[in-house]
Amino acid sequence: MSEPGFTVDIYQNEYLAEGGRDVNAVVTVATAGTASAAPAPGASSAEIIIVDCSGSMNAPPSKMAEARAATAAAVDVIRDGVAFAVIAGTHQATAIFPPDGGLAVADEQTRESAKRAVAGLRPGGGTAIGQWLWLAHRIFTSHPAQLRHAILLTDGKDEHESPEDLGTAISLCEGVFSCDCRGVGTDWEVAELRRISTALLGSVDIVPDPAGLAADFSDMMAAAMGKQVADVALRVWTPQHASIQFVKQVAPAVEDLTGRRADAGPQVGDYPTGAWGTGESRDYHLGVQVAAAGAVGQEMLAARVSLVATSPAGAEVLGQGLVKAIWTDEEALSTRIDQHVAHYTGQEELAQVIQEGLEARKQGDEETATAKLGRAVALAHQSGNEDTAKLLAKVVDVVDAATGTVSLKKKVDDADEMALDTRSVKTVRTKR
Amino acid sequence: MTAGGPAGTGARPAAVCFACGEPVGAADSFCEACGAELAPLSVSDGRGAGGPPGCESCSSSRISADGYCESCGRKVRSGRDHQEADLGLVAGVTDRGLRHQRNEDAMALGTASTTAGPAVVAVVCDGVSSSARPDEASLAAAQAAAGVLLAEVRAGRDLLAAAPAAVSAAAAAVAGLGRPAGLLGDPPSSTFVSAVLTSEAAIVCWLGDSRAYWLAAGPGSAAQQLTRDDSVAEELVAAGLLSEADALASAQGHVVTRWIGADLANPEPHVMRFEPPGPGALLLCSDGLWNYQPTAAKLADLALPAALTDPLGAARTLTSFAIDAGGMDNVTVVLAPFPVSADPMPRRGQQ
Repeated sequence: MSEPGFTVDIYQNEYLAEGGRDVNAVVTVATAGTASAAPAPGASSAEIIIVDCSGSMNAPPSKMAEARAATAAAVDVIRDGVAFAVIAGTHQATAIFPPDGGLAVADEQTRESAKRAVAGLRPGGGTAIGQWLWLAHRIFTSHPAQLRHAILLTDGKDEHESPEDLGTAISLCEGVFSCDCRGVGTDWEVAELRRISTALLGSVDIVPDPAGLAADFSDMMAAAMGKQVADVALRVWTPQHASIQFVKQVAPAVEDLTGRRADAGPQVGDYPTGAWGTGESRDYHLGVQVAAAGAVGQEMLAARVSLVATSPAGAEVLGQGLVKAIWTDEEALSTRIDQHVAHYTGQEELAQVIQEGLEARKQGDEETATAKLGRAVALAHQSGNEDTAKLLAKVVDVVDAATGTVSLKKKVDDADEMALDTRSVKTVRTKR
Repeated sequence: MTAGGPAGTGARPAAVCFACGEPVGAADSFCEACGAELAPLSVSDGRGAGGPPGCESCSSSRISADGYCESCGRKVRSGRDHQEADLGLVAGVTDRGLRHQRNEDAMALGTASTTAGPAVVAVVCDGVSSSARPDEASLAAAQAAAGVLLAEVRAGRDLLAAAPAAVSAAAAAVAGLGRPAGLLGDPPSSTFVSAVLTSEAAIVCWLGDSRAYWLAAGPGSAAQQLTRDDSVAEELVAAGLLSEADALASAQGHVVTRWIGADLANPEPHVMRFEPPGPGALLLCSDGLWNYQPTAAKLADLALPAALTDPLGAARTLTSFAIDAGGMDNVTVVLAPFPVSADPMPRRGQQ
């Protein structure tokens, strides 16, 4: 397959004060080209659309109608030659296209057949999302596609199975396919869908109005069609006895990858980043604590960060950057904070205080909620994260954005609160 | 001491092979009679013998292509960061120090066997930091000058005249580096101090603030600084404006007033002849050492008596002293014991 060129850039202050052991760096990974570049002809792709058909999709009836329309719109975007399927999800999972429970190869005729099958979807039954994932896994693994991606739509809570059942299904699917999750309306659980999207390296978002579904589905499918390299990992080498404090994706959204490490040899671990298309750029924040501080003037390699494409054939290094530590007793050097590191440290805190603030609000702890959401308003203001600032303004009345002086709104729309929750992880980039 | 007149006084002793005693040509690399390799220049050019070194911190032998230990991550000293040379009659150490990212000092050492006895050639250069490519300037200057001095010694020529000729060769080599397009700063420049030490005397030549000291071993014969810096500090002291300590501490104190570089057409080096009054050692060093200890007697206390029998060990001691004292600058220390004793098999080596 023709691969886009990857670049890896490291932003850090490599100077540490005497005795310092903590090294922070922002790793920017980018692919060349434009986002809408022609698809790679050689990459084999498979797509599954999973549509919630539980009884609640009938309330209001337009919800099911919009879901059908959105699925049809997504099917229209599937490129010729891509293997695809559609699953209807209730308390069980049903392959509605192709009817044999496998994958169809997209062309004009199969897309039309799929849309006819989708048009026949009717709501009825419960919700067991783990079942849906099981079936998607079975269908994907019946086909040797390199790029596997699913879109999952639900409108309600995962009521007809235990959280453990869902957890088992998620673990099964991890590393097999990626999944973008969408919640329509306000009766679904943000934490539940985030659990899936995080594990399966996808996005999660709310579509408050069913009318917005079709455009969203088309966009998601178009982005999936642009992927060219599957299973790219951040491979991090660290010195002996060093500990990795964290590895987080910080742009376009915060995703903690620390627990996702897979050992790839002595002192080397792989952190999954999923699939990449052309014209993409993502930032990662890496924290390493080295075992012992060096003498003043000494230089150490604190981490070697490589981007590798992993496949059964082996690992191919796509790019590399070095995170260094140089000990100095010049305070002017060691106290300087890299602006990228500072910026993303702020964005991570922003996501955290929003989630903590909303949780406190739910628990009725107004004092904590006010403090946390006030801090969030100040951070969003300082960093120029206007989207998040707007979402915050629907939950709190802002007295002074700069200082984060706010009061909680007495009445908050459920959709606004859920939108703030799901989108709290979205970050803005530094002004370079 | 063998037959023949003292070097540099008109007599022209032919160079002889250290191994078999047969005459050899001044420019020969090998003895035509026995095939022994005639001691070539030992230059701190970063091309040490042997394979890649291991890690100094954890002893791992796995070093990545970009110079880091694959086990503990330490940057492995490489190239010119730390170099040692031991020719028996003379030894030297040059080190990056703690603060600078590279070593802009250079040294070139050589020995020659003449019918007047063995002789030592040593050059220490310190690239001027404000100039372009100072590391290349110092290396080019040291190598070129030492090559001329060694040939002149082997040819038995006048050593007082050889010194300026060596400076001219060094200046030509530095000027030949040119200034890379787009690079700001002065053209490549370097300080310079050279010495030819024979059984009779030391011929010392310098420009800038790299120094030569006589470290006396015997009682009653005082150690002394042989060179006088070409620096703003020296001028301030000479004019009676500041004490030496205050002058060195002043902002412009370390600015050199003479140097080797394309922007100084006729460098006019200082040349002096010094006859050691007794046993001791000749020390050449860059300011990375003397910044921490400028006093000759104190330097002698640090280097002696080890320098008389183990010049490499003593050079390491002085280098460590400067690094332990702060290592603010690159450090280069060259020591040659006196009398220059014939050493049947000069040791050579670099790390």
